[in-house]
Formats: sequence, structure tokens, C-alpha cells
Amino acid sequence: MEDKITVAHVQLSSCCGCLISLVDTYEKFLDVLNSIDLVYCQTLMDAREIPEADVILVEGAVCLEDHHALEVAREVRKKGKTVVALGACAALGCITRFAKGGQMPKPVQGSFSSLTEIIRCDMAIPGCPPSPELILGVITALIKGDEEYLKPFRRYAVCKCESCGCDLIINVVNKSLCMGCGICSASCPTRAIEMVDGRPVVSPQLCVKCGVCSFQCPRIEI
Amino acid sequence: MAQTVDITPTTRHEGHAKLILEVDGEGIVSKAYYINTTPIRGFERMVVGRPAEFVPFAVMRICGICQTTHGIASCSAIEDAIGCEIPEDGRLLRELTGLGSRMHSHPIHHLLTLEDFVKPEEGDLKIEIIKLIQSMRKVGQLIVDTVGGEGIHPPNIVIGGMRTNISERAKAKLYYALRQFEKDAYRMYEIYQELIERFLEEVGIPDLGSHDYPYIASHTTYGDREAINWDGIVEIPPHRYYKDMKIAESTSLMIPLYEGVPAEGGPRARLVKFGNFRSGGGAMDINIARAKENLGAVYRALEILDELNINGKTRVTPEYRDGSGIGVHEAPRGMNTHFAEVGREGRIKSYRIIAASNWNFPVVEKAIEGYPHQYAEVIMRAFDM
Amino acid sequence: MDPLGSYKSIISARATDKRILKRCQDGGIVSAVFIYGLENNILDGVIVADKEEGFRPVPKVATTPEEVLEAAGTKYTVSPNLSVLKSAIREYACEKVGVVGTPCQILSLRKALKYPVGFRHMVDKVKLLVGIFCMENFPYMGMRIIVEELCGVRIEDVVKMDIGKGKFWVYTRWGEVKSVKLKKTHPYEQSSCHVCTDYTAELADISTGSVGSPDGWSTVIIRNERGEEIINKMIEEGYLERRPIDEGKFGLGLLKKLALVKKEKNMKEIEHRKELGLPVPPDVCH
Ligand SMILES: Cc1cc2nc3c(=O)[nH]c(=O)nc-3n(C[C@H](O)[C@H](O)[C@H](O)COP(=O)(O)OP(=O)(O)OC[C@H]3O[C@@H](n4cnc5c(N)ncnc54)[C@H](O)[C@@H]3O)c2cc1C
Ligand code: SF4
Ligand code: SF4
Ligand code: SF4
Ligand code: SF4
Repeated sequence: MEDKITVAHVQLSSCCGCLISLVDTYEKFLDVLNSIDLVYCQTLMDAREIPEADVILVEGAVCLEDHHALEVAREVRKKGKTVVALGACAALGCITRFAKGGQMPKPVQGSFSSLTEIIRCDMAIPGCPPSPELILGVITALIKGDEEYLKPFRRYAVCKCESCGCDLIINVVNKSLCMGCGICSASCPTRAIEMVDGRPVVSPQLCVKCGVCSFQCPRIEI
Repeated sequence: MAQTVDITPTTRHEGHAKLILEVDGEGIVSKAYYINTTPIRGFERMVVGRPAEFVPFAVMRICGICQTTHGIASCSAIEDAIGCEIPEDGRLLRELTGLGSRMHSHPIHHLLTLEDFVKPEEGDLKIEIIKLIQSMRKVGQLIVDTVGGEGIHPPNIVIGGMRTNISERAKAKLYYALRQFEKDAYRMYEIYQELIERFLEEVGIPDLGSHDYPYIASHTTYGDREAINWDGIVEIPPHRYYKDMKIAESTSLMIPLYEGVPAEGGPRARLVKFGNFRSGGGAMDINIARAKENLGAVYRALEILDELNINGKTRVTPEYRDGSGIGVHEAPRGMNTHFAEVGREGRIKSYRIIAASNWNFPVVEKAIEGYPHQYAEVIMRAFDM
Repeated sequence: MDPLGSYKSIISARATDKRILKRCQDGGIVSAVFIYGLENNILDGVIVADKEEGFRPVPKVATTPEEVLEAAGTKYTVSPNLSVLKSAIREYACEKVGVVGTPCQILSLRKALKYPVGFRHMVDKVKLLVGIFCMENFPYMGMRIIVEELCGVRIEDVVKMDIGKGKFWVYTRWGEVKSVKLKKTHPYEQSSCHVCTDYTAELADISTGSVGSPDGWSTVIIRNERGEEIINKMIEEGYLERRPIDEGKFGLGLLKKLALVKKEKNMKEIEHRKELGLPVPPDVCH
């Protein structure tokens, strides 16, 4: 028991899909729960105060018009040894990049920033949501202290990426690096990328800015 | 002596909320406020001016548990607006995806309520139930993965139908998975009935969480816009619903009313309206209705596999024109409605959503009132918020 | 480091099935492995490059031996095979997927297997990675220029293309064979190939190509146990015939030489790009 790392899951402005993705490890989920000490997760358990924890997984963007959300963000930074921006909303903004307010009954709430823009995060994971296997991989690496595996996520936390399918065009196709493997297209959660003449064509109407395609591309340094 | 009990945040449900309870000298709730404190990402405004294709993908991200229902309601609202008929096999696959979503969402809700009914010393039972839940969820999500394209935010639900059909192999795999689900769902139904019976016996309040508001439901397994009198539905700002301005200002919720009053949506509402489930009982009935709906879902899913032609067309190319439409889908937690107004170029002119849990927020308040305050969260959770 | 990456053994081999030999590129290793896998429940779906009119490649999920055969043969142009990876495990519901790809595609897939951010429930379903040797590739219209302008053949008449003995060869359905020196095809290579240092798909389970073996035979690099198991079984059961690899100058020697040439040449290009301040591909999964 003493050796287990303590983990908290905190939800900001998100859909909860990133947590569900972790739960979608099905039978392995119990193993996950056994291998860590889950100390806070408002969706799954009754703890009402965020405690100190070795790892705090945060999903969701931060609503700047919600004082409470800003406080939670600060609290998370204070209480977590390692703060992980879990999923594209926390890491990159994702769908909240399109938010602009105007909706009843709180028309003022309209400014959402990624968690990585608000506090220093130790790691960030793109994906809407990241796959169950990936989240499991990260948790396992955290338990084992496998820094080699975690490296891309550590880098991702500081790159303050704005993400979009256009990144592929700018960083890969335009730089004569794209060799047409097609993995970006398969990875896209909204199927926004079609391969034409061996190159990705991104439909900006469908892109939700999740960052997956660029992360998955083997020709970009992450 | 009257006092106020403040439960912040409420736990084991999706989103952020709190309960403010006015409690009398006996500990009975005389007035309950269930306040949604989730910041509004503003999906209704986000999609205005954007091309229609974007909308289903955007609105799915309202909720990571019941994304499918938002995708379906959104597509059907836009299809209704532009007069687009989707092919029969597309419709079947859509309904199947929705059922898959229900078959993973209901069990996850059992997971959230579990602690309310299982005792701390019943560790083995708890593990058995969690395993059962995960085994059921795996089947539900397999359907959404296979038919919808992704278990979370399924991109195959598109305006005009479904992006693709499924292979013979996939169909067979789903069949066997469903048969497994059927077994598990029976077991789950038994367990839940027993647990709840025991719980109510111990509490000694058989009708815990009852209310006398009407039910609202459009269909058992899918959604039917014809079944609802839309003129009878309004949505009012909390400022008009709550007398207390502080409360009104703190909640993120618009209040939907049916024929002038709140109405309960969800498993019980559906089973009462379209079956012979007991009406007017306590809120714990909803937990049982939910477990029962797992069975309804699996039988309808098996039927769909039978009806489905895997070589059939699943999608038509939508032709955009001016119009407005309604899309209804019965989400796991209740009737989910999207209203879309589309312009000729296929851009969204206006958009409104009455999500399933919006209906139940005011009903939860009514259901909590009149009962001991320590059961407030148990009652709230029965509604799957 | 070995210019061929790490491996267990290297052999020459060829399929025994006449149907495969009639349609395949070299020894028919890829098609034979896939058909064997499908027929013996080792695989239940494979990703291959089929073609449409005008030799346009189309990535495809094949679930029957017939579909594998239809897609046999090399297309000397980019076929984004991995773009259908997800549909293989979704609407096709495959659980034992085989993938053939160029070295860059194999590398890309390895990265996705290590970091499956956008690939829910995929990792345990990819069972076999077959890599094909690759010196360079051509954009589709680049290939057309080589065929139509340099070799003077209408694209609709082409039944096979090949690279060997320093030339690009085009075979027509009228039985003619045209060729052009590779030196002349260089201008039509896709530029992103010039920063690629993997010739033999070093991260595959099995890699195969023509170089190093006699005509009609393939060189097969068996890289790990997974690859070894299937190749051994196929030899035992008579699906493949094998001969020892020629260790000499025109066998293994040539293979190593070409692999090294690619590495050295393209490392230079990478250095050059760095000097220009241009981005270069990262080291992934090494
Ligand atoms: C662009 C390119 C360059 C090559 N360069 C060399 C080389 O320099 N030296 C060498 O020894 N071999 C090279 N090869 C490999 C060689 O041409 C044969 O593909 C290989 O020997 C396999 O032959 P086979 O008879 O075993 O396969 P077959 O049974 O004919 O099967 C070949 C498989 O590869 C797939 N395929 C065909 N084209 C592509 C493509 N463009 N992308 C992805 N998959 C494809 C087919 O769908 C088929 O499944 C190259 C191949 C390609 C595609
Ligand atoms: S990244 Fe996607 S799945 Fe995760 S919270 Fe945001 S919208 Fe939901
Ligand atoms: S194109 Fe797709 S994968 Fe890339 S950022 Fe947009 S939504 Fe994500
Ligand atoms: S993932 Fe592959 S196809 Fe997509 S941009 Fe990168 S190299 Fe090109
Ligand atoms: S040379 Fe390299 S980058 Fe180009 S196709 Fe071959 S393996 Fe891919």
C-alpha cells in the first residue's frame, strides 16, 4: 500500500470522455485501481476536497469567467507533484477553442483556455479522448518511472501547442517531410483527413483541434 | 429549527453541481435546490454560422458518456430541417449505435450508484458487480466502436445517415457479444432489484424520492418527434423559475417545462409511457427501470441485426436548403432534443438543445423535497445526472 | 550497427502456390504470408495496396485470399496503407490484422503501437508487420511520367512495373518490356524519401524484397519470433520453398551495400537540411 502512487482525477470544462476512456480498459480497470491509490475522482467517488497527490490528472479547459475553475487550476498545481493535462481540452483546448459565449443562462462564459496556458503542467496528452491503452501506458510509466516513455508528453506540455489539422500541412507537407503513410488520416477522431495523392487533405469543417494527427505523425518531433 | 444543508460538490455523476437544502427540525427537506455549476461551453452558440457537418461532431462533445445521443439528435434535427430522408439501413445502424451507447451508459450508471446500495463489508459482491458492469460496458462500447466508428464520440453518425455499413464478420461478432450481454443484463437486473429492495427496507421509506410530476418520453429505444406535442414545451431562464435570485444566478441551466410544469424523462418515464411499469413510485424505481431497459436494449439490438442488410446503402448526400427541424433521441437519461435552423448554404442559423438531464434537474429538486436530507444524493443519483 | 537493423536470420524464399507466383512481384512472400495467415486463422484481415484504373493505388482491408491476390504486385507510388488501419478494426471488426508497408509505414505503425493516442483498442489487434524494402518512392504523377513519357507506355497498358539492375521496367499487356535507367527517374522521386534512412523496414516482423536473391525469389529477413514462427510453419507445410541466401557480392553483400548507401546518402541530406534550418524527421522508436 505504501508504495502505491497517489492519483487524483480532476474535471474542469470537459465532457468527461477522457475519464470514460480510462474506464474503457474494461476488465483491466480493476487492475488499474489496484495498482494506484486513487484519492480523488468526483465522478467515481465521494471525496469532495482535492488532496495532495503524486499525480493529478486534469481533464478539461479552464473557463476564465468561472472564478472557481481558476481556483481549482491553481489548487491542482499546488497539490499535485506531477500535473498531467489529460486529453485535448486540457492540453490544447480542443472543442472549447470554438466557444465564444452568448448562451443562456450564462452568456458571459465564453473564454476557455487550455490548462497548459493557465498553469505549468508537467505533462500533456492530446487526443479526444486519448485511447484507453495510451492512458494506461502513461499511468504504467508513471508507476514505473519510465521517463523514456513519458518524454513526448513532457515535451508536449511545454510546447504550448495550438493544434489543428493544418499543423500537418504546415509542419509536414509544406516541409517536404510527408511520405504518405496515412496514419494521420486513420487517427483522426472526426475523420477529417482524407488522403489525396498520398497527402493528407484536412477538412477544416470537421476538425475539432484535438492534436492527434500531428502527434501520431512519425515525421514531426514531439 | 430550520437549517440549510449544503452539499458541494455532489459526487458520482457527470459534470459539476451542488445541492442546497432547506431542512426542517425533523431533518426533512422542505426546499431543495439542485444547482448546475458546470461552466457553459455554449454549444448552441458555437455552431451558429458554422457548416452543418461540424455540428454533430461538436455537440457530441457535450458529454463523453452519451455523445451518441447528441450526434443522433443533431443529425436528425438537421435532416428534418432540410427534408433529408436517410436510407433504412442507415437508420437501423444509427438506432443500433444509440442502443450500444445505452448499453454502456446504463451500466456505468450502475457503477456510480453502487456505493449507495452495497455495504462496505460486501467487498466481494462489489467486485462481482463491477466485473459485470465492465463486461456489459464492453459490449455496449463494442457496438459503438464498430458501428459508430469510435466508442467515444462516434464519427460515423453523419448528416444523411451513417458513414459506412459493417462487415459480415462484424455483424457476427456483435451477435455473440449481445448474447453475452443478455445473460449479464439478467444477472444485473436481479442484483439491482435485491439491492434496492433491501435498501428501501432498511431506510423504511418505501416511496423515497417520489414526486407527482408528469413523465416525458417519445419512444422506447430510439426517438420519435411525432410523439411529442412541441407546442407544450417551453424553456425558461432560471431567473423566472426560481424566486431566489442568488440561486437563479448561480445555475447554468435553462428550465424546460412540459405543459407548464417540470417533467421526468428517462428509463422510468419510457417504461411507464410505453409499457406497464409502475408510475408514481419512489425514485429508486428508476434504478430498477434502468436495469430493465438493458434488456429491452439488447433485444431490440438483436432484432436490428436481423433486419440489417449489410450490403444496403447507409447514407445519402444531403442537399441543403432553408428550413428548421427537430431531432429527438431517447438518451440513456431521458429525452434529448435538438432544434436546428439551417440556411441554404448549409450553415446553421440558430440552434437549441434540451439535453436529457435538463429535464431532470428541476424534478430532482421535487423528488428530494419531503424526505430526510441524508438521502438527497441517493435520490439525485437515481436520475442519472 | 548492422545496415539491415536487427534480425534473427535471412533466407531466400518463394511461394509455391502458382496463383500467387502469377500475380506477385518477386517471390510472392507478402501474398503467401497473408494468405497463409488468413487460411489458418492467424490473421483475419490484412491491409494491402490494391489498384484502380491507371495504376492508382488504393489501400484496402482484405479478408479473403482472393482479395490478397488482387492486390499483389508492387505499385511504385505512395499508397497510404495505414489510412485504413482503423476501419480494419472497426467496421471490419478484425482482431488479427496483418499490415504490409514500406519501411516508413512500418515505422509509423510502430510508433502508433507504442503511442496509440488516437487508436482505441488497436494495439492488441495488430498481429503481423510485413515490411518491403524500399529505396525511394514516386508521387503518382511522377510514376506516370516515368511510364508514359520516359518509357513511352500508355498507363492503361501496364501490367507490371519493377526496379532492378539499375533500371525501371515496365511490362505491357501486349508482352512488351520497356525500361529506363534509374538515373533518369531520380527527378521524379518524392523528396520526403531523401530523409529516410531505412531500406529494409527494420522495425517489421518480417522484411522482404528482391535484392539479394535470384529473379523470381525474394530475400526474407526474419526479425523476431513472431516472424520466425510463421515463416517456419509455412516452410514446413510447403507454402514456401527456401534456399540459403547468397552470402556473396550479389546476395547479402548487395543488400547490405544498398542499405548502407541509402543511410549514408540520406544522412547527408538530413545534415544539409539542418544546415538550411529545415526540420528533419525525429528518431522514432529506435
Ligand atoms: C515504392 C517501393 C519501392 C521498392 N523498392 C525496392 C528496392 O529498392 N529493393 C527491393 O528489393 N525491393 C523493393 N521494393 C519491394 C518489392 O518491389 C516487392 O514489393 C517485394 O519484394 C515484395 O514482393 P512479393 O512478391 O513478396 O510481394 P507480393 O506478393 O507481390 O505483394 C506485395 C504487397 O505489397 C503491397 N504493396 C504494393 N505496393 C505498395 C506500396 N506502394 N505501398 C505499400 N504496399 C504496397 C501489395 O498490396 C502487396 O500486398 C519496393 C516496393 C515499393 C512499393
Ligand atoms: S478531449 Fe475530447 S473526450 Fe476529452 S474532455 Fe475534451 S471533448 Fe471530452
Ligand atoms: S484533423 Fe482530426 S486529428 Fe487532426 S487535429 Fe483535427 S480533429 Fe484532431
Ligand atoms: S502521418 Fe504520414 S501521411 Fe500524415 S502527414 Fe505525417 S507522414 Fe504524411
Ligand atoms: S524511401 Fe523511405 S520514405 Fe520513401 S517510401 Fe520508401 S520507406 Fe517511405
